Amino acid sequence: MGGVVGWLLILLAPLIGGVLYGMERKLKARMQRRAGPPLMQPFYDFFKLIDKRPMVVHSLHGYLGILHFLGMWLALAVLLSGGDLLMVIFMHLLANSFLIVAAFSVRSVYSQLGGMRQLLAILAYEPIFLLAGVGFYFLSGSFEAKAVFELSSAPLWAMWGIVIAIIIVMPAKLKKSPFDMAEAHQEIIGGAEIEYSGLFYEALYTARWLEYLFAYAFIVLFGGANWLLGLALAAVVFLLVTLVDNATTRLNWQQTVAITLGLSLPLGAINLLLIGIQ
Amino acid sequence: MRLERFRKKSPWILHYNAGSCNGCDIEILACLAPRYDVERLGILNRGNPKQADILLVTGPVTHRSRDRLVELYTQMAEPKVVVAVGSCTCSGGIFRHMYHVGDGVDQFIPVDSYVAGCAARPEQIIEGVARALEILEHKSHEIERPFQLRGPLYCSGEQTIRRQMAAKVSDETN
Repeated sequence: MGGVVGWLLILLAPLIGGVLYGMERKLKARMQRRAGPPLMQPFYDFFKLIDKRPMVVHSLHGYLGILHFLGMWLALAVLLSGGDLLMVIFMHLLANSFLIVAAFSVRSVYSQLGGMRQLLAILAYEPIFLLAGVGFYFLSGSFEAKAVFELSSAPLWAMWGIVIAIIIVMPAKLKKSPFDMAEAHQEIIGGAEIEYSGLFYEALYTARWLEYLFAYAFIVLFGGANWLLGLALAAVVFLLVTLVDNATTRLNWQQTVAITLGLSLPLGAINLLLIGIQ
Repeated sequence: MRLERFRKKSPWILHYNAGSCNGCDIEILACLAPRYDVERLGILNRGNPKQADILLVTGPVTHRSRDRLVELYTQMAEPKVVVAVGSCTCSGGIFRHMYHVGDGVDQFIPVDSYVAGCAARPEQIIEGVARALEILEHKSHEIERPFQLRGPLYCSGEQTIRRQMAAKVSDETN
């Protein structure tokens, strides 16, 4: 993806991400036989949060929240402009580590607990994204996302194991049940984001929309040149993740790490081995 | 663009039980469940005072819970409203004038909307929140103070300084 379309997507990313988040909330409500909030609800929340009186714990804490948002946008921009996949994955990791540093910089117990759980969640999903990057390299001979978008046969067929592995770790990535220990409403009340409010919480709230878009844009990569197939795959994963989120309860960190790494890492590694042999 | 009109479109709730029998709490949860589904109005139960707009209080404010109530109220960012849910919360109810309760939440923090009933019905709670939202739309960003607090609330410009308040409380306990 390049040129005008790519730039337009990058600039409008928060808007598209907001609509995606609204769709997810609507779909989740429908699955519970509720009417659900309006599609534009995330934007209503956005405007309301601007209007709140600004409160900040200390300036670095607020600043790191904004850096988290910018880092997330940058990672998405590199992906959508067809840049280096390793750059994409590590930029995304950097954005998340800003949030973790912020979580440890305040004295709230919940915030620190959330920071530790966020680190464990990264341990759960990050290796699979790296394996996917290596898989794309084996297929296209380059780490560039651009090269993946030019593959005539969809990487989905050769990288079936990695696709399944990514679907398994997707709830950990998007902080959804059963792997939502990093956020855990009503238990640690949002974890790392607990001390944010008003305008500074806004940065985290919009960063979440970008995270949604990032995760699903990564799935679209598996369609290769056939981006319609990629979009269809992303839609299926979207439905599946929401269904699993509604149907399961939260697991603790031992279970989360054991299930995600125990299932998805061997699956991804075997798949990578098979691609290597061919 | 007038940002005030978005306040009533996404009110986030903080629910605090100040010694209630759980009757009203269950009715509040019933509002959030699929039958009444207040999320269709954008209402979310956040459980975090820093991100909430509405404080839903239940219970007659027992001796043990009053410091926490005032603390939670002070942590909420303006504009904010308080809804007292249930007879105990409005006036102390059957516990009025007893040695261990504070005779209603309005003895400690300013209340914007009262919902009577033992327990208050979900329809009444939604009505009470809707009334509170009308008030919320016209509120300014002025810092609102609780009535009773062991130490005074210090302000520096736009910010409340809670550290000194905590120090004051611990001085008094010692």
